[in-house]
Amino acid sequence: MKVTVDGRTIEVPTGTSAIDAVFAAGLDVPYFCSQPYLSPIGACRMCLVEAGSPRKGPDGTLILDEKTGQPKIFWFPKPQASCTLMASEGMVIVSQSASVKKAQAGMMEFTLINHPLDCPTCDKGGACELQDRAYEYGYGDSRFEFDRRHADKHYNLSENVVLDQERCIHCKRCVRYFEEVPGEEVLDFIERGSYTFIDSAEEGLPSNFSGNITDICPVGALLDNVSRFRGRNWEYDHTATVCTACSVGCSITVDARNGQLERIQGRENYQVNQTWLCDGGRFGHTWLRHERITTPMIREGGTRAGAWVPATWDEAIRLIRGKLGEISSKNIGLYSHADITLEEGLALERFAAQLGTDSVDHAPRYSSASTLVPPTLLEVSQADFVLVLGADVHEEAPVLALRLEEMLKGGLLPARYEHGTAIADLRMPERVVRQRHKLVVFSSKSNLLHGKAGLAAEISGASALHDLLAGSAAFADIFKSLEAAQKPIVILGAEVACLGRAVLQEAETLVQKYNAKLLVLPAASNSSGLSHLQLVPRGKGSSLQAMQVGAALVSRLEQVPADFAGFLMVHDTHLTEAATRADVFLPAVSSYEKRGTFINLEGRALTLRGAAIDAGESVDLMGVIGALGDALNLKPEIRGVRSAQREFQKRLNIDLSSLPDEGQIINWSGTSSAATFSAATSSVHSSVTTMWKPNMLRGKNVVPQQARELFVGGDD
Amino acid sequence: MLYFTDKQTQLADIFSRYPHTEQGRRSALMPLLREVQNALGHVPEENIAEIAALIGSTATEVKSVMSFYSTYHTTPTGKWHLQVCATLSCAIAGSDELWDYLVDELGIGAGEVTPDGLFSIQKVECLGSCGTAPMIQVSDVGFSECITRRKMRTQLEQLRAGANYLPDTVVPVFIQDGQQLNALEQKIGGKYSELEPLKF
Ligand code: SF4
Ligand code: FES
Ligand code: FES
Repeated sequence: MKVTVDGRTIEVPTGTSAIDAVFAAGLDVPYFCSQPYLSPIGACRMCLVEAGSPRKGPDGTLILDEKTGQPKIFWFPKPQASCTLMASEGMVIVSQSASVKKAQAGMMEFTLINHPLDCPTCDKGGACELQDRAYEYGYGDSRFEFDRRHADKHYNLSENVVLDQERCIHCKRCVRYFEEVPGEEVLDFIERGSYTFIDSAEEGLPSNFSGNITDICPVGALLDNVSRFRGRNWEYDHTATVCTACSVGCSITVDARNGQLERIQGRENYQVNQTWLCDGGRFGHTWLRHERITTPMIREGGTRAGAWVPATWDEAIRLIRGKLGEISSKNIGLYSHADITLEEGLALERFAAQLGTDSVDHAPRYSSASTLVPPTLLEVSQADFVLVLGADVHEEAPVLALRLEEMLKGGLLPARYEHGTAIADLRMPERVVRQRHKLVVFSSKSNLLHGKAGLAAEISGASALHDLLAGSAAFADIFKSLEAAQKPIVILGAEVACLGRAVLQEAETLVQKYNAKLLVLPAASNSSGLSHLQLVPRGKGSSLQAMQVGAALVSRLEQVPADFAGFLMVHDTHLTEAATRADVFLPAVSSYEKRGTFINLEGRALTLRGAAIDAGESVDLMGVIGALGDALNLKPEIRGVRSAQREFQKRLNIDLSSLPDEGQIINWSGTSSAATFSAATSSVHSSVTTMWKPNMLRGKNVVPQQARELFVGGDD
Repeated sequence: MLYFTDKQTQLADIFSRYPHTEQGRRSALMPLLREVQNALGHVPEENIAEIAALIGSTATEVKSVMSFYSTYHTTPTGKWHLQVCATLSCAIAGSDELWDYLVDELGIGAGEVTPDGLFSIQKVECLGSCGTAPMIQVSDVGFSECITRRKMRTQLEQLRAGANYLPDTVVPVFIQDGQQLNALEQKIGGKYSELEPLKF
């Protein structure tokens, strides 16, 4: 379809809105209410353009202009909102004329009538759409002289989201977001006309995804309470990285100021999180800065009863050398949390091999992993039948719940252009009827997904799976749906996945029978990647629960077995319970400070980049392995991200150092790492996975309270 | 107190007017609100939640719809709910003074009820009787028009004395068989079927 925008004729696909046509032509139009991934509604009237199109006469041919002999353009009598105007063949759009500018400036004047002039104290300042657009498109002056509307400026919608009712320009992005994305109508306009304000009647904005409205609000009305008043936008160091709180791997921007992590915002990844984050990932970072330890520590007097004293790395290594010298290297255990990068995992695997120890483990982890190719997140949103067994998706992989919501809405994805995701995709309507019959949920405890499904019951996922396989008559409807579905998906959660190989086998049989795809929610963020590395215990007593070794390195795990009496090196950010029993404390960097690769639940490799956070002497797992190597006079095979990536180039034939921004699905089959490693023992870790790590939970409760005391309740 | 628990037939009747789908159920919002308000004079919080649950939505949504219309109340109203038009024609003709008079005379503000439970007051936008400004609407019964201080005082006295309210104009409400009726079920104008073409 050909459209002419200010004299430039461009080719756009049918269904393109006029606003996207203007952007596709490389020009700009100001807008407030449109937002990629949301329905266009034409509420703000800021995106005015002039438009006209050729028309056909009764004889079916284009009406021609008598003078020029060209098709005659029939102009709309007034400027049109380009976001709700569908571009049509031969349409002519004028976005840069003086009259368009005047219309836009006039609209801007209206929008600013009630908007307070408190940009100098507004957190959005410097990153505010209204500020930018007023500067670019406004008159810089107003003819309205009456008083501005006054309303509540510190209205806590929830612990994490604060609303300044005066700043709201009624674009309705936040209201539409809740209905369209998580499908929870917890926010709406109250009153009407110039009295309209945003409010919720539901106590504390009960949604797992409330923080996203702080990203999309075009003004400073909805603000992240956790980072409120902690920095101006131009002071932050922005780092584009990936969230490792769960296995979805949402793209985030980590903002640090003066070496301290202050804010996390969503970043676009069309394939993974679109632009959305869950509240845990967004607000849960504050645990990091409280009581963090960033230097190595050793015990006073060299006994475990001694108090911790800060030490240098050299002192720590000397101590380790002394202790490990007495122990056979086979008798050293290496244990890590399962959120390490692929590179760290490889270093761990190689180092364990060098030591010749069987005692290597990562947690949380299931005893067995499936080798079937999982569906991608986009496939989930486009599935026509989804069966969820034993999962609490909102806890185990929150943003996956948004893809399921998208699936219920029919799986329509916004168009993509060279200028990005469609700003206004007119195929996306408001209030889509949810096709609930496409979702069936069985898990022993009722969770948020139960309320969304056409069929849901509180029965254990494993017994449901068993009965499904046995062809139980009670499930006749489900069999019919599975058979009829073209793209069915089965999702297994922790409740089932922790039961081990036999149950996983049942699930695999079930999906193969119906030609479905199987998505097993990983136990931790990088479980999917780490399952292809030899990081599971092999000998008796070598697992994390047994830990029958003379010395152990424990990286960011909360606990060690009560009867462990050997030499304990704890690598962590905080003094955890495990650390209180340690002989040496080695400071760890968090995932926000790491460089490396992380494999999410769909098998997509995503790149982690280190944010500008002051972590003192802290090192990642490779650093600790280097130190152990030093102490043992052993040169670790993998000493850095670069050497690890070289090894992966060999194993997977993929260059992890230059992944595309959206990541890349790794095809393990046919590579030397195709096999997944199962533990010899079928011991499993807890069936409860939650993205709220213990210290995140602590941070969640502590910080906004403090923030309020410091900044809102005080003399702000 | 839940309102609809013992009114299942009535409830079924209201829902039967809309499609039997998830969206259709939501359409019953307005009549349900009206039902509660007619009975109680306002819609209390717990009934907002009740209606939200009935139509499968949230209290936020229900409140949003309610607050859009000035005719739904979240606070109790008196037996006679006086709605003072404050839009342009009435404002020019003295609706501000009328409002102040009512506030002084009744000793209440917006959202309050006189201790005897008789009166409550509210400012509303144009009621479509601009030619007879200033005017008020009394409950759902009718309009008092071309109000002067004396007229207002007399009317309040009569209502206090227990007299029935006599509107200048009755609010037009229903159309039945093409015939519009007012709140007193009197005919307004003719029937469509009785209309004849004009003869010149
Ligand atoms: S609070 Fe922000 S996002 Fe919501 S309507 Fe107002 S300006 Fe728009
Ligand atoms: S009217 Fe708001 S972007 Fe078009
Ligand atoms: S202005 Fe009062 S009735 Fe129209």
